[in-house]
Amino acid sequence: MSLNFGAVYTIAKKEFSDSARNKWILAMIAIFLILAIASSVLAGGGEIGEMDLTVGTLMSLSAMLVPIISIMLGYATISGEAESGALSVVLACPVSRFEVLLGKFLGLGSVICFSIFVGFGTSGLIIALTAGGGKWVGYLGFMLLTMLLGMLYLSLAVCFSCVLKRRVTSLAAGVFIFFLGMILGMSMMGIYAATGGDLGAFIMGDTSDVPDWFWFEVFLSPQDGSQVAAMEAFGISEFMGYEFEMPSYINLGTLALSQAIWTLVPLALSFIWFQKRDV
Amino acid sequence: MDDSPVVLETRNITKRFKDVLAVNSLSMKVRKGEIYGFLGPNGAGKSTTIKMIMGLFHPTSGQAFINGKLVNGGGVELRRSIGFLPERISFYDNLTPIQTLNFFCELRGVDKSVVPKLLKEVGLEEHAHRKVGTFSKGMTQLLGVAQAMIGNPSIYIMDEPTGGLDARWVKMVRDKLKSLNDQGATIVFSSHILSEVEALCDRVAIIDKGELVAEDTIENISSHLSIKHRLWIKSPSINGQVPPWVNGIKGVEDVTAKDDTLTVTCDASVRLDVMTALKANGLEIADFKTIEPSLEEAFVRLLSGKEVA
Repeated sequence: MSLNFGAVYTIAKKEFSDSARNKWILAMIAIFLILAIASSVLAGGGEIGEMDLTVGTLMSLSAMLVPIISIMLGYATISGEAESGALSVVLACPVSRFEVLLGKFLGLGSVICFSIFVGFGTSGLIIALTAGGGKWVGYLGFMLLTMLLGMLYLSLAVCFSCVLKRRVTSLAAGVFIFFLGMILGMSMMGIYAATGGDLGAFIMGDTSDVPDWFWFEVFLSPQDGSQVAAMEAFGISEFMGYEFEMPSYINLGTLALSQAIWTLVPLALSFIWFQKRDV
Repeated sequence: MDDSPVVLETRNITKRFKDVLAVNSLSMKVRKGEIYGFLGPNGAGKSTTIKMIMGLFHPTSGQAFINGKLVNGGGVELRRSIGFLPERISFYDNLTPIQTLNFFCELRGVDKSVVPKLLKEVGLEEHAHRKVGTFSKGMTQLLGVAQAMIGNPSIYIMDEPTGGLDARWVKMVRDKLKSLNDQGATIVFSSHILSEVEALCDRVAIIDKGELVAEDTIENISSHLSIKHRLWIKSPSINGQVPPWVNGIKGVEDVTAKDDTLTVTCDASVRLDVMTALKANGLEIADFKTIEPSLEEAFVRLLSGKEVA
């Protein structure tokens, strides 16, 4: 099967210009910019803080915000257009379903990456100019990780939109997976406490007694996994006052692998389910 | 037209949704250059069949062919020869008609210079810069027709092209179908409006409960069902009662009365004799007309299962 790149580009371009036209991109850039500057000021105790301090604060915020944005962008990709009927006109054209979905994924992905790049990039420049840009490599790394997290949740959202019939159900699935990622850490703590773990010590920052299985959570929650990966990448072992000592099986390699699986498996399933779908 | 090549065909095509059999082993053939009507009540399986032909639905069993090639499995290039108008067409609300048609030109690999001409042909050139989201249903439908015309396809497949439109738009869409056909295109369209199918089509397929009940010209279907000509007679002396002597007139096969009218079924050749006999029996005739065999009757008969022949 030969790929019609012209068609893929046309679809991707439409997704991107739609988001530009309805000011989504502008709003996202503004949110990222404000968020980064605010985090920097927060970390700097009233003044613009250093880049690594900024990242420490920004990390947990963007780990929450970026998935929400990706889910909002992607949840209706197929189910929404199938419901409105616009998709059947597109699929009646001489283009394959693979090309249509690939174009949509790339278009939406570039919306996310572009907004993160411009939003966090501009704020990065502002921070570098005021507080010094010594840690810019780490900051760029953080931007890249944020983009990857965005792609991960986009892939999940698109997957739901491919397998679920209706716009609302695919939104519900997106919201569900978002909160699952948010509360998984809490649930694990609950299990830890229920199995005789000392939660008090944990909260006080002593994680030496925490069993290895507890940390497996970072593979199950993409949000937490991404944050821990960012910490590993920066060599940060302290987060919001907590000292983390994680088992050796959690390292940048295994985290990257789990994040890649979280992105690629839903994406592959999207293509399979979209191919089988009655539109 | 019988020896024209078959451009569209389904062979025992079947679609089952969980416990509903939407289309049951339907086989039909459309020949080059004809206007083929796909007629049936709402929910008969028309849209499902069309979607299977377009490769949008996957058949449970059976196949669809376009120009002799199988639709499912590598049908991408086949769609180049088809202009498609789905039922209740919807576009992207945030685009103008120009942007919409440009997008579909790009997808079809057709030069965008045709767009202004297409908009003019469907009479939307004045609304070229309005958002499609503000369009009325009729305007959206016309834009759909323009979209289907991109790249001059040789086959048009249109699902309820006049559905839900008011009279003015209906006429525009019908005229467009007719002129496309005059230019040599094959047209398949579905409808639940009999008069429309009757006015436009060379051949019709009548479908009910997912099954093909008849596929032929309207004349052939009517004669096959032995639908006769009828006389419609208005007389002040009829009060919803058939005068008993009318049945005795030679050549009268059936007679019904309603208010001040009589409807007499008889062979065309004896119509005048019947009229004379009625007059001779003292019936005052205020008005009369003859009713030709219609698709409506064929339709009603076929669907009610009272097939005569």
